[in-house]
Amino acid sequence: MKKQLSVILSVITVAAALAACGGGSSAPATTAAPAPETTAAAATEAPATEAPAAETEAAAEESGEGKVFNIYAWNEEFKGFFEKYYQVPDGVTVEWHITPSDNGAYQQKLDEALLNQENADPDEKVDMFLAEADYIVKYADDAATQDITALGVDDFSNTYNYTVQAASDADGVVKGVSFQCCPSALIYRRSIAEDVLGTSEPDEVQELLNSWDKFNAVAKDAKDKGYYMTASFAETYRVFSNNCTSPWVDADNNLQFDPQIEAWIEQTDDFIANEYTLTAGIWDDEKNKQMFADGKTMCFFGPAWYFNFCMGNAQDPEKGCSGDWAICEGPAAHFWGGTWLMAPAGTDNPTMLADIMNTFINDEDVCSKLVENEAQFSNNQAVNKKFAENPDYGSEFLGGQNDVAVFSAMTDNIKWENHTIYDQLLNEGLQNSLQEYYKGVSDKETALKNFYNYVNETYPSIITP
Amino acid sequence: MSKNVKNPKSRGVSNAKWGYLFILPFFIAYICCTLIPQVMTFYNSLFMNYRDGLKQIGPKFVGLQNYVALFSQDNSGSVGILKYFGNTIILWLMGAIPQIVVALLLAVFFTSYRLNIKGQQFFKTVIYMPNLIMASAFSMLFFTLFSPVGPVNQVLIASGWVDKAVDFLNIKISVRVLVSLMNFLMWFGNTTILLMAGIQGIDQTLFEAAQIDGANSTQVFFRVTMPLLRPILVYTVITAMIGGLQMFDVPQILTKGKGTPNRASMTLVMYLNNYLTTSKNYGMAGAVSVVLFIISAALSLIVYNSLSSQYRKPKRHRKY
Repeated sequence: MKKQLSVILSVITVAAALAACGGGSSAPATTAAPAPETTAAAATEAPATEAPAAETEAAAEESGEGKVFNIYAWNEEFKGFFEKYYQVPDGVTVEWHITPSDNGAYQQKLDEALLNQENADPDEKVDMFLAEADYIVKYADDAATQDITALGVDDFSNTYNYTVQAASDADGVVKGVSFQCCPSALIYRRSIAEDVLGTSEPDEVQELLNSWDKFNAVAKDAKDKGYYMTASFAETYRVFSNNCTSPWVDADNNLQFDPQIEAWIEQTDDFIANEYTLTAGIWDDEKNKQMFADGKTMCFFGPAWYFNFCMGNAQDPEKGCSGDWAICEGPAAHFWGGTWLMAPAGTDNPTMLADIMNTFINDEDVCSKLVENEAQFSNNQAVNKKFAENPDYGSEFLGGQNDVAVFSAMTDNIKWENHTIYDQLLNEGLQNSLQEYYKGVSDKETALKNFYNYVNETYPSIITP
Repeated sequence: MSKNVKNPKSRGVSNAKWGYLFILPFFIAYICCTLIPQVMTFYNSLFMNYRDGLKQIGPKFVGLQNYVALFSQDNSGSVGILKYFGNTIILWLMGAIPQIVVALLLAVFFTSYRLNIKGQQFFKTVIYMPNLIMASAFSMLFFTLFSPVGPVNQVLIASGWVDKAVDFLNIKISVRVLVSLMNFLMWFGNTTILLMAGIQGIDQTLFEAAQIDGANSTQVFFRVTMPLLRPILVYTVITAMIGGLQMFDVPQILTKGKGTPNRASMTLVMYLNNYLTTSKNYGMAGAVSVVLFIISAALSLIVYNSLSSQYRKPKRHRKY
């Protein structure tokens, strides 16, 4: 009896150890092995399937395409529009894989999934993913995405040209579409503008702020009256960086500072020294607090998605100040961000993918609803024109101003040039390093050296000065 | 096997076999989960192997080039890995010294039959409690508490102690204190319980004998408790040190991975993580891991030898 018991016990211990080992060994293996194949499981955070199994199978058989449509995204913005305005075909379940983009986390997750695309189970293949202007080149100019004109998305007559250029590879093959166009405006508080500039009318404000010289001079006036010109040291970063005449790295992969970036640093030095702005980052709570009614900041910069998705504090029914805002072009034309829907190679739902893309750029009804209900600036020129010319259309948040008309006028000046696959983390990294300098933690030289160290660690192929 | 068991003559031999069988799982687990990854890490550290965008660069054998890069001066003119090693040690010492002192005191109080503290179970549970909170959650909590718009600053401003919000997370000393404080809070309960077990393992008659001989509490602590507690203390210090060298989660989340200010709170593992996240640079990350392993092993040996050699001496003296 005792012997039998000990045999059983020893078998159990050995088995348990092996089982634990099998689970445990995969973790160190991912950090040690050169090929990250073991992380396939990471791509499969499968939420529960909703459609009944029988129905699913029948419908899927009919279309001959996958039953699960996987979408990778970094926030809930597009998910909201998708669920409201896109009719998912019967039998297909849509699964969202959402990872925040901080420190490149979204790109890491997406990269693992795309690199594993070939071996992935059909239900786990990426069927569509979202990409932002800062890193779209990395995906558009790679075999991981496919030509969407071949899938039936070929009518770009109404989309804005730069959105198509951004999603194309070096040979001009289009790999995705954007459902929004993102010219970025100067968003100002009407009441503060009234106090500082003596007017709150967009045309007049634009006239007073249409160059950096004027902008910098007004910053002093604002300060004299107890206001901040902007609420973050990086608020004007995009306005400069979008007008760069050279990319972040040259042909030999040397890191380079464009004169526009240097101009931004110069302006920010001045703004911080004179307390025209705060040392908060663009997404920090400290900055966002300035959007409340008791905020003291006159100017913010951002496209339509910024004031309708990221200015929640201003829209707060109790502490906010909805209606006290207006937009104008500001000192320089620029765009910021934008969400592209990209077509990954190897999707098992190409028809549905093409259908989604066509819906969000060419379906007039859906595009109109995006403008009307969601305060988006759509990527459909005909629809935008309709709203721009409609005297009854106006944004409540902007005190009745017709934002579509303002944005439409700005689109001609948007350029898509000088982008690299490294943009997101270089833009973020530079801002993070310089923030320490502006907070007085380190001197400028140290801050830049920290930025170079960061670049060396993040992108080994870039050569720093 | 059953044949051997049935034969009474070979009984001893068969028992040894069972013994080997029982320790087998550990060795299998050790080889699979520790030894192989360790060797693989070293192997990987000899290659140039990273990702540029979606393109894989390498693996290409480069010998010890990664180690050379690791120990050469970076852009700021210092050797990065030494700086981060220094940070790690400072952060660890700032947390570990109070942790062990406080834990030792509490352990002595709790085990003292003269104090005879009531409700020990309750206190033990309470001091152990912070260890049950996930480090990341704990760190996030502190991040929110001490942010420029967080409650601590609100209290400070409301009570008139400061005019402008204090940016705790961008001041070298306050970041280091916060990290150490969190590590201290999380681990002192665990250490207390270990040391209590150690003290309770000491024969009570020795304490009584010392008191009858006229020793006061301090003398009892330094002459009786401490020498006999040394094996457990060595164990505690070494495990705390290995844990401290691998410090990652608390400073990573508190400083959003940046090691603010001016990389003064960047630990070795955070540095390793910088190589791993975006570029999947297994070569450099592997080299950092190997260096970290060598440092941990060396420091553990030093601590073990210095503490346990002192422990052996008084034992020998007692014979005379």
